[in-house]
Amino acid sequence: MISSILLKEWLKVKYFFIGVLALNIGVCLKIYFDIRGLILAEHPEMIWYEAIHLHNVFFKEIMFFPLVTGLILAAAQLVPEISRRRMRISLHLPLHRDWLLLLSVFTGLFFFLTVVGISAVLIYFTMRTWFPYEVSMTVLTTMGPWILAGILGYLGFTAVLLEPFKTRKVFLAIIFSVIVSAMYMGIGYGWLSPAMPYLVWLVPLFLLCVFESGHRFQQRGA
Amino acid sequence: MNAIEVHNLSHHYNGRNVYQDLTFTVPQGSICGLLGKNGQGKTTLVNILMGFLKPTGGRCLVLGENSHSLSPDVRKRIGLLHEGHQAYEFMTIAQTERFFRGFYPDWKPDIFYSLVKKMGLSHRHRVGNMSCGQRSQVVLGVIMAQNPDLLILDDYSMGLDAGYRRLFLDVLHDFAAMDGKTIFVTSHIVQDLEQLVDTIFFLDQGKITRTGLKEFLNSFKKYVFHSNKGALPLEDEVIKGIERRRDLFTVYSYHDCDTVTERLSRQGVEVRDLRRADMTLEDGFIGLMGKY
Repeated sequence: MISSILLKEWLKVKYFFIGVLALNIGVCLKIYFDIRGLILAEHPEMIWYEAIHLHNVFFKEIMFFPLVTGLILAAAQLVPEISRRRMRISLHLPLHRDWLLLLSVFTGLFFFLTVVGISAVLIYFTMRTWFPYEVSMTVLTTMGPWILAGILGYLGFTAVLLEPFKTRKVFLAIIFSVIVSAMYMGIGYGWLSPAMPYLVWLVPLFLLCVFESGHRFQQRGA
Repeated sequence: MNAIEVHNLSHHYNGRNVYQDLTFTVPQGSICGLLGKNGQGKTTLVNILMGFLKPTGGRCLVLGENSHSLSPDVRKRIGLLHEGHQAYEFMTIAQTERFFRGFYPDWKPDIFYSLVKKMGLSHRHRVGNMSCGQRSQVVLGVIMAQNPDLLILDDYSMGLDAGYRRLFLDVLHDFAAMDGKTIFVTSHIVQDLEQLVDTIFFLDQGKITRTGLKEFLNSFKKYVFHSNKGALPLEDEVIKGIERRRDLFTVYSYHDCDTVTERLSRQGVEVRDLRRADMTLEDGFIGLMGKY
């Protein structure tokens, strides 16, 4: 049963997964070559000063890519299901609706985390090449809000796509956009770290929205 | 035991009443056809029965469970064909089989592949690249391989040519011959149902009428006559449906020839050569429900 769901989700997203993975790796390579060029062109002390004192994040070009990745993966998973109401096929399977949605969402999040995980590791090694360990380690805390934005974007877009009522769709889209945009309100190494333990609680809340939209999707003629 | 029970079902959509106090049952082991003109709510009824739509009022039981909260165990026993032969178009034939196999412990891959084999396509052929008829075979294979107790088919004939429709009917006949299997089917091709069903439900303006197929074809009659002057026939409690092609009139009635002649004469209709004609289920459907 689980392997069937995994098969279906993989078949839907495989080209998009490869696409966003290539896109993210491409951006990581650009960041690598940009920093390399900077180090070679300028005095290392200047770069150090920019990083530590001016909080210039050298890999900020990747900040919106986790969000774009989340949105693309959500669309890749949901559009084939909601177009021509094909999701009714899965909703009729001998499996509880919420369990079906949970498996689909977890599969999508697995693909998402694979992509952003690879990006984060590449950025970490890029930073580790020229910066001390302490600075390199901040890659994770700096990228944390962007990754969270991607997760929330993925869940929010999933809920919006499933939502059958237009007014509710718009309302959810506005709420989710505002919350996601909060992750981009500042920039700096680990700037949102103190709030992250609280912000991660948005994930289960967004997940509940997916279940609620899924429930309404089924009860409104799927 | 009843496979489907509908009690006082009411539903309205955009302020319009689709049903009001609809009550009927589908006994286990029966083959029922739901007939109604476009827009009478056949698909809506299937959606309600499958839990895809919550009715405004009333209660629907499918295999003993409330239709809008069917448990996975009951859904396992229902083979559902969605309108338009819905299938996952991004899957190949083999992937479709692999996907559904995981959900049904009694899955019969040989049944699936025997139906799909008739098309002569590779198992790596994508469903999205198939014609409507080919896709319908894949969907039929999926449903039959589940070995369900209840089949609900929502307009299975949509987009199918005569060959694929006949193929569908052959498979459904074999299925119906098995013990205790129930079929609830809607179709736009009424004459196909004549070869399959034993019971008919007519759905018209929110009301449902149940009748046996043979009983209907025996009791409801088609009469033809010529007329080129006098009044035009009108529908009443005797004359149920009227068709006209130039001076040839066709009327439908539950009454015998004499009663119909007498009623037409009383309406001032000139009646020449009135006789009973052979009636198909489609004729009867038009006679009872009208064309529009």
